[in-house]
Parts: sequence; C-alpha cells; structure tokens
Amino acid sequence: MDVILAFSCNPTEQPLCIPESILELFELPVLFGSVNRTMVYIALSALIVMAVLFFAYRKPRLVPTKFGLAVESIVDFVRNDIAIGVIGPGGEKYAPYLLSLFLFILVGNFFGLTPFINFPIGSRMAIPAFLALVTYAIFVFMGFKKQGLAYLGHTLWPPGVPVALKPLIGVIELVSIFIVRPFSLAVRLFANLVAGHTMIALLLGSGVYFIYAAATGEISALKGFVVGPLWFVFGMAIFLLEILVLALQAYIFTLLSAVYIESSLHPAH
Amino acid sequence: MDALMILAQEGAGLTGNIGSGLAAIGYGLGAIGPGIGVGIVAGNAVQAMARQPEVAGMLRTNMFIGMALSEALALIGFVVFFLAG
Repeated sequence: MDVILAFSCNPTEQPLCIPESILELFELPVLFGSVNRTMVYIALSALIVMAVLFFAYRKPRLVPTKFGLAVESIVDFVRNDIAIGVIGPGGEKYAPYLLSLFLFILVGNFFGLTPFINFPIGSRMAIPAFLALVTYAIFVFMGFKKQGLAYLGHTLWPPGVPVALKPLIGVIELVSIFIVRPFSLAVRLFANLVAGHTMIALLLGSGVYFIYAAATGEISALKGFVVGPLWFVFGMAIFLLEILVLALQAYIFTLLSAVYIESSLHPAH
Repeated sequence: MDALMILAQEGAGLTGNIGSGLAAIGYGLGAIGPGIGVGIVAGNAVQAMARQPEVAGMLRTNMFIGMALSEALALIGFVVFFLAG
C-alpha cells in the first residue's frame, strides 16, 4: 500500500486509514536534532528546481536544446504572463521570486502524485504558511516603501468613499488585506492538497478493500470483483484531475502573489 | 434538528466522535455560498471572454482575484472544520 499512501496502513483491516492525530497536519517540523520526511522532500524539491534551471541555462546558446526550450517556455510564461502581465512595467524585478515560488510549489505538489513518495509537501501547514508569509512581507514592505504612510492611509481611510462609510470600509479593508490575504493564500494551497490526496487514497484504498473482501469470501465474488475495479477506475480519473489541480494551484499561488504585490505598488485604482 | 443529529452520528461512525460528524455537516453547509459565488464569477468571466476575446488575459486575472475573495469563506470553513472535528 505504500504505492498509494504516504504512511504504512493495511486497508484490508481498516477501510479508512486515519492517522493518529489529525493535528499532525499543523505541526511545525523539527528544525534541529531530527530530520524528518518533510524536510527531506523540501530539500529534494529545491534541488530539483535548481538542477533543472542549472542544466537548462548552463551554456546559453542561440538555438536552445529541446530541454532548454521547454524550461524557457516556463520562465517566459512566469515572466511575461504573470510578472509583467499583472504587475505591469517594472514587474520583471519580481520575476525571479515568482519563478522560484512557482517551480518550488509545482515540484513539491507533484511529489503527491509520485508513486512511493505520495507526499505533497504543501500538505504540511508550515510550508504554505511560510511561503504566504514571504509574499506578505514583500507586499507590505513594498507598500510602505513606495507610498510611505499613505499606504496605511489608502487602506484605513479609502479615498473616493462617502465619509460616513469610511470607517466601516476601512475596517473591512484592514481585515481583508492584512489578515485574510495571507491566511487564504496559505490555506488554499494546503486545503487543495489535503483534500485531493485524501480523495485519491480513499478511492484506491476502497478498491483494494473490495477485492480483498471478495477474495476472502466476505462478500460475493460478483460484488467484489466488479465494484473493486470500478473504484480503481474512478480513483484513476480523480488522479488525472489532480494533475490539473496541482498545476493550477501552483499557478494561482504565484498569480495571487503577483496581484497582491501589484496592489501595494499601484494604489490609485 | 433530529435528522441533523442522526446525520452527525452517521458521519461520526468512523471516529466515534459526534463533534466531527457535526463539523463535517457544518463545512458542507458553509461551502454552499462560496460554491455559488465562485460559479457566478467563473460563469460571468467566461461569458465576458466569449464576447471580447481580446481582453481574455485581463479578465482571467480578475476572475482569479474574484474567485480568491469568494473562496476565502470556504477556506475559513475548512479551518473551522479542523478546529471543531
């Protein structure tokens, strides 16, 4: 079962593999003293990203190789469509940050669908929370740097709003920009990874359970050998959907980071 | 109300804790509104792209912003589910 699940569990005894404590998802990994699984995969995904970029751009040439061209199209997409497309002229300054964010999340997400690893690193709350906090620090810092204290003024006392409504809108904006933004950025990635992975594990585990039950004669062979493979087919369909979702979540995280940075650079609209 | 408690007990059958069953029902109810909201945002964005394909890039960005804002409620619900369950 290690092919499907991230931890050892025997679905023939227990149809739903419930971990010891669900709060495990929110625990911060231990930094010193013990190296755990999460840290190994974080380092691995960072290494993969660095290796891909290094080998693609080691020797820049006029006519790139196929591999170089593929990597170039990703870089071009992040730089032109996300960084410059959203932030506008001057956005290329943020392209390196957005590219490393995009590639790290993408590779980390695809660990969740790699057989024998089965562990999307974003499914530990610490990782998306940290990435969201970096984006948060960047957009708050750039807001104060570009606009000075007017950044708070635009937020708390928004121009172009009737005076009677200004305190109300100001409070709503304060909560939405400084609390809900980083929170939802982190939880969106986390929730999508946890929910998608749980769904795949549940469906494929059900397939194993039905076939095992039919093999031991617990349920009739007709039931087990017809319904079990159906669960597998359904699980594989969700697996394909998950490939789409994982890539989309990496894109959305990067895009929203760019949107938030843009909103503190150009307040006038 | 009785039907709700029965549902919660059924849902709790896996862990034996009625709180987790109620939390699952609460999250299901809480996801209705954001679901409708995201549907409206995406539907209208597709309609606008069909009418004016040349601004599709800008519309897509704005669609994701709108989705992010309305999805925030569902995400809060997801966290409350963990806290309650």
